Amino acid sequence: MKKTFSKNLIFLGSLLFMSLAYGQTLTGTVSVEYGPLPGANVLVKGTMNGTLTDFDGNYTLSNVASDATISISYIGYKTLEIAVNGQASINISLEEDASQLSEVIVTGYSAQTRGDITGSVSSVDVSEAFKNQVVNAGEALDGRVTGVQVQTSGQPGQAPNIVIRGFGSTNSTGPLFIIDGVQTDDPNILNSINPADIKQMNVLKDGAAAIYGARASNGVVIVTTRGGGYNMDKAKISVGMYTGFADAVNRPDLLNVEQHAQMIWDSQLNSGVPNPTHPQYGSGASPTIPSTIQFTPDGVTANVTPGGTNWFDEIFKTALANNYSLSMQNGGESGKYFMSVNYLNREGIQAFTGFERLATRLNSEFKIGKYVTIGEHLNVSFSDQNSSNETEMAFRMSPLVPVRDTDGNFAGTYSGATGLGNPRNPVAELSRAKDDYTKTFRAFGDVYMEVKPLEGLTIKTNLSGSMSYFDQRRFFPLQPEHSESRPNNELQVVDGNAFLWNWSNTVNYVKAFGDHNINILVGIEALQENRIEKDVRRRDFLFETPSFYQLGTGTGTPFINNSLQEGFSMNSYFGSANYSYKNRYLATATLRRDKSSRFLGDNQVGVFPSFSAGWRVSQEDFFPQDGIINNLKLKASWGKLGNQTLPAENPTLNIVAVSEGGAFYAFNGNNPPTSGAELIAVGNPDLKWETSVAQNYGVDLAMLDNKLSIGFEYFNITTEDLISRDNNLISTTAIDALPPLVNRGSVQNTGFDLSIGYNDQTESGFSYGINANISHYRNEVTDLNSAFQTGYDTGRIGTVTRTQVGQPISSFFGLLIDGFDDTGRWTYVDVDGDGIAGNDGDRTIIGSPHPDFTFGVNLNAAYKGIDISALFTGSQGNDIFNYTKYYTDFPSFFNGNRSAAVLDSWTPTNTNATLPALSTNTQNVEADPSSYYVEDGSFARLKNLQIGYTLPNSITNKISESTSFRVYVQGTNLITWTKYTGLDPEIIGRQDDNATRSLGIDNQVYPLARLITLGINANF
Amino acid sequence: MYATVFISFIACSDEFTDSTLTGQLSDESLQSELGVNLLLTGTYSAMDLGDTGGFRASGDNWWQDAISDDAHKGSTDGDQQELLQLELFQWNTSNRYLIEQWTGLFAGANRANSVLTLISSIEGGPETFAPQFAEARFLRAHFNFELTKMYGFVPFISEQNYADTEFNQPNEVQIWDQIEADYAFAVENLPPVQEEVGRANSWAAKAFLAKAHLFQEEWSQALTIFTDVINSGPYELLPNYNDNFRLTGENGPESIFAIQFVPDGAASFNGNSGGTLNFPHGGAAPFSNCCGFFQPTIDLVNAFQTDGNGLPIFDRAGMPDFKNTYLVADSEPFELDNSPIDPRMDFTAGRRGIDYQGYGENPGQAWVRATSTDFAGPYLPRKHIWHKEDGANIPGSGRNSGVNHHFMRYSDVLLMAAEALVESGGSLGTATQYVNMVRNRVKTGAKVQAVEGSGDAANYVIEPYLTDFASPEEAIQAIRFERRLEFAMEGKRLADISRWGPDGVEIMNSYIEREKASLTQAAVSIGNLNNTFEARFRYFPIPQNAIDLSGNILGQNEGY
Repeated sequence: MKKTFSKNLIFLGSLLFMSLAYGQTLTGTVSVEYGPLPGANVLVKGTMNGTLTDFDGNYTLSNVASDATISISYIGYKTLEIAVNGQASINISLEEDASQLSEVIVTGYSAQTRGDITGSVSSVDVSEAFKNQVVNAGEALDGRVTGVQVQTSGQPGQAPNIVIRGFGSTNSTGPLFIIDGVQTDDPNILNSINPADIKQMNVLKDGAAAIYGARASNGVVIVTTRGGGYNMDKAKISVGMYTGFADAVNRPDLLNVEQHAQMIWDSQLNSGVPNPTHPQYGSGASPTIPSTIQFTPDGVTANVTPGGTNWFDEIFKTALANNYSLSMQNGGESGKYFMSVNYLNREGIQAFTGFERLATRLNSEFKIGKYVTIGEHLNVSFSDQNSSNETEMAFRMSPLVPVRDTDGNFAGTYSGATGLGNPRNPVAELSRAKDDYTKTFRAFGDVYMEVKPLEGLTIKTNLSGSMSYFDQRRFFPLQPEHSESRPNNELQVVDGNAFLWNWSNTVNYVKAFGDHNINILVGIEALQENRIEKDVRRRDFLFETPSFYQLGTGTGTPFINNSLQEGFSMNSYFGSANYSYKNRYLATATLRRDKSSRFLGDNQVGVFPSFSAGWRVSQEDFFPQDGIINNLKLKASWGKLGNQTLPAENPTLNIVAVSEGGAFYAFNGNNPPTSGAELIAVGNPDLKWETSVAQNYGVDLAMLDNKLSIGFEYFNITTEDLISRDNNLISTTAIDALPPLVNRGSVQNTGFDLSIGYNDQTESGFSYGINANISHYRNEVTDLNSAFQTGYDTGRIGTVTRTQVGQPISSFFGLLIDGFDDTGRWTYVDVDGDGIAGNDGDRTIIGSPHPDFTFGVNLNAAYKGIDISALFTGSQGNDIFNYTKYYTDFPSFFNGNRSAAVLDSWTPTNTNATLPALSTNTQNVEADPSSYYVEDGSFARLKNLQIGYTLPNSITNKISESTSFRVYVQGTNLITWTKYTGLDPEIIGRQDDNATRSLGIDNQVYPLARLITLGINANF
Repeated sequence: MYATVFISFIACSDEFTDSTLTGQLSDESLQSELGVNLLLTGTYSAMDLGDTGGFRASGDNWWQDAISDDAHKGSTDGDQQELLQLELFQWNTSNRYLIEQWTGLFAGANRANSVLTLISSIEGGPETFAPQFAEARFLRAHFNFELTKMYGFVPFISEQNYADTEFNQPNEVQIWDQIEADYAFAVENLPPVQEEVGRANSWAAKAFLAKAHLFQEEWSQALTIFTDVINSGPYELLPNYNDNFRLTGENGPESIFAIQFVPDGAASFNGNSGGTLNFPHGGAAPFSNCCGFFQPTIDLVNAFQTDGNGLPIFDRAGMPDFKNTYLVADSEPFELDNSPIDPRMDFTAGRRGIDYQGYGENPGQAWVRATSTDFAGPYLPRKHIWHKEDGANIPGSGRNSGVNHHFMRYSDVLLMAAEALVESGGSLGTATQYVNMVRNRVKTGAKVQAVEGSGDAANYVIEPYLTDFASPEEAIQAIRFERRLEFAMEGKRLADISRWGPDGVEIMNSYIEREKASLTQAAVSIGNLNNTFEARFRYFPIPQNAIDLSGNILGQNEGY
């Protein structure tokens, strides 16, 4: 060690001597595309003689040998080496470095180049990802990022479910979003952003997220939006627009009228009814298809559509999609800005549903004097959503019923006498909800100030916030055609606002000395969220017209169905230190201390450390520089992360509520009732964070002149102190309050992420790339302080999932079907061996919603202005619990429609059947949760295909040199390969407290649409 | 500078990360008279089990009638299939009706515990809040009685258990002692009359204490208290039987303890939310078309037929069904059966051709959701359904009826006293007298009138027993039969059948055979099911989920 030091000293001395001997002064300006580049590193090659460019990009180097070579570098740009050749002044223009290693990745409070990252950080290729016409920017992660599972709904404007590296919680599993400075775990915020404004999307998947401590264990998605550039020659204007249409991908195979009639007959005959009868199909040996619905009220005639009504054809429609966005950026010597405006209108494939958004953004930054920069990001958006979903009724409604009667009114089931059951007319329901809306106004962004008093030192303060207001109106009109018409019309108005802010202050010091590079950040942060909401309802409106839908115009007594006011706050201290030696050995340590209002006493504070290290083997002297391997990096990380996202803001306190619905009582036998209160939630003063320990081991490899890149990472994440409500403590013999949230178990996720990319350009100008990724996780509950936990109650057949030790979270639970007995009834496996097959003790684990792996493959190619890209995504090995079968495959609601699967019911001559013998009522608990509901949910789909043509420069240059013009056609969800029989294999789960323990249940999913668009992108 | 500001901002406000409770009551703020009264009111409010399971947990115990010989689940067989399974004696331990009723009742018991715990935590509380303390103990006894009636072996959650959040207690022995102790405390500490009629008073506590003895077959102890209630209590029968279910008789002298249901113009939270399915169904039906549940059985209606002397017919062997509209379309003519019948029948079951709760003539099948292949029959329920003229019982919207549910009426005291008398070897004459009080009231009271105004709607014939019961056996038969007629569709039948042991099993199995013979098409469609009422059905099974969640501290009842 000592020896090395003295060696260096001698070396340094000799350099000084050389400079003195041969010195001359060199000056110049370093610039980039938009103008001068401050802070660029200018170094005389092979010496320690270097400087940084000043504010205006100028540099001055003294003692430069006339035959020296200078090296100019700046993060994110290609390093340039220029021979001095005796010149006294050299102006240099740097080009952006497209290669991955130099890409600057925003990793939180600071940024790093890709090559220096030692944690697990994945980036979305934004230019490819937004070729898919997403509504919510989070959809862009689908198939693009290893280790990230995205489930999207077909309901325009519904935020996708994003899960990173398995399910590390029995509670909330959504990631933390950082949008510029704004922090939130509300995925809806991405509905407010114009995807075209996004410059970078990065996902922190391991200990690298520890800088966000208590909110980071589900991973962090960091979104950075575009800014302008300083010293631009002129404004750059970008225009993007597309228009197109969407249609349903898949329609279920249901019975037509003849099949339905025969099903009714066969069922009755099987059930021993000698002479089947039905109010519509008559009586006798065979059914008669009526031409009009029988037993309608006086004056109503409803003609049966020949073959029957296909309700999915009726509720689905061709939906229009339109999007227009315009952005402008510019910058001068002391200021720059980016502004954009976007209008999106995306209709849903179910009639009258859809999502509309108007969003604007202004990002600007100003330099004040030499040391101070201030700037802001501001996003303001307004959206309007209509989110009806009538798939259940479309499954259930009899094919006999037409959409409308002969007078043009909606037709329906009218009464019990018609024998049509009790489904509602789904077209009527959609139509009546057409004036419902959820309007959301959201403004969010930040203001920051950076001071750079010394070289390498940045002091930054950032105040960010989000305020949103929503207003939801639903009107429930009378349904005169319905056999169970609601007795009173009702207006529901829900509104609320949410406000969050965080204020962070950081000090960042970056210094390079010799082969050593350090980057140290310390910070302090405070944040707070508050939310208020109310749900007011009133009945009996005299007119059912939208202009009348105001709370004041009803005639019933209004009542407050719900109101809430809640929030939480946190304050935090954090720091990180990066060190690299010779660019070969990299190490990072971070530490964060959070104090949260959600806990009490010592439990309020959590400390979250992480360490990571990397070895860029390819930078070693021994590593062949001209070999096929261009980059080889090994990395490992360890980090502790927390999760404080809970379904309660005050989980430590007992909460007693004055409750009109649950605790009032009319002692005198008449109104008004006396006020009462009830315990509604039991507190747990000892609650503490869920904590995860994440380990990550990875290899980054680039070969063949960087054309081939491979990334492989293995992870092992152990989560302890899983938080969920303790139903054992507040068991069935307790009070009707929510059980306390407790720390009750552990879960482990292990798996790997693999990405392979090959990108090349031939001399003829043909460029192409294939980028594939595959992600695998294995989830296992390793400890639970109770035998099991259930998921949500389906309403008809109870809970169908269980979370228990030794199994993954949310395994399907029910009876195992064995085969058929001699009478066409199912036989069950006698799991508990008590001699009776099919009783409660025989329920067992019958499937898992977790895939073996998920994948994405993106192909792109371009040649002479023509470009094409395609994205395939998929999931393999996951099961789906197809709950819809309760209605469509069993006589649960005898007169409703059924799936075509019932055509393959057991008969004495068809003993190798799909379903048991038809019957008028469910026999032998056959509609109970069983292996019949569980289907292979694997799928692959062509998620996106886009073909574009960019006009040659020779044409666009006539407008201006900077003009470019591209036109494209695009398709989403064009082809799907799956064996799943439901509407769509991509199941977005419920979003409630039980969501994580109720995965993979297909319960009235709004199916994804096939979208075809035609669009243009133009830059001026 | 700003860093200093920031740091001082955080440092000066430790409360920045304090947990705050907004709009709710904290443990501290409850410690007052207001807090005690709020929680006590909340305990009464739990009697309808309305917070727990909608119609699956219901304070009026309607679905237990649907298991008994009095009623069918109603509607189509597939609708609420779990209840059909109960009705057909396929009692899975995971059936949600079983667990939701169980959960709702324990929630009630523990709301009572919350009052007791709160009062005990206030210095001098038990003295200052003595009446509230006694009411809470009465209510805890009520919930525990309901639980014991249904599930037999249930754990007792004491106020100490409540305070310590120890809800997983064993259920090895029955908790009658604790129930009796709570009622006895209420007898001693409640006033005989409460200012507000819906509150428990000492007479109600006595009557329920006696009923607790009756359920344990402690006949003489029961009899002593019942006799006290009859001789010294403030109760008497209403002149008209049906006034018990009308506004005029609500909280009258016959009412001992009832759920005070009131509807209102908004959400009708205080109406009968557990019974919302139990209305006629069909586009023209006046009860918002929903949902056709809870239909009286053919067997129940038959039981109302009287002989030439106006007395019940205990053995109907060979008699045809009282004429009904099963398999009779509304378009077909139908003539009412003119054979003699107890007037209570048309207050209990709705049928074609008779006025229905003031809404005019019942058209028959048009108001019945069930089809002929459903195990349901043609009759409609009546007692819990408001009368058109009783505006104060009618919700502004929805079907949360304002008709009170009686946990005990005075006629119940009379018949329980009669039963206790006979079982304890007491006077058959007095027992006959008690039964005749009940029958005479019906005889002299108002009857259902024909829609066209031509007098009684049917051939109503009822007479008291002219001679004293000849033997204890004859007396018991008559008393039990009278209980069925008097309380049909009031949620009491299954508990009676259960406590009658082997006789109850016999009642159920002979009923099933008769009912299948009456509902011919439905019988075929359910025919291949094993539907025998077994001795183990004396009690419901302890819900499997309850056992699991207790960590197996709870044990299963015998036979499951």
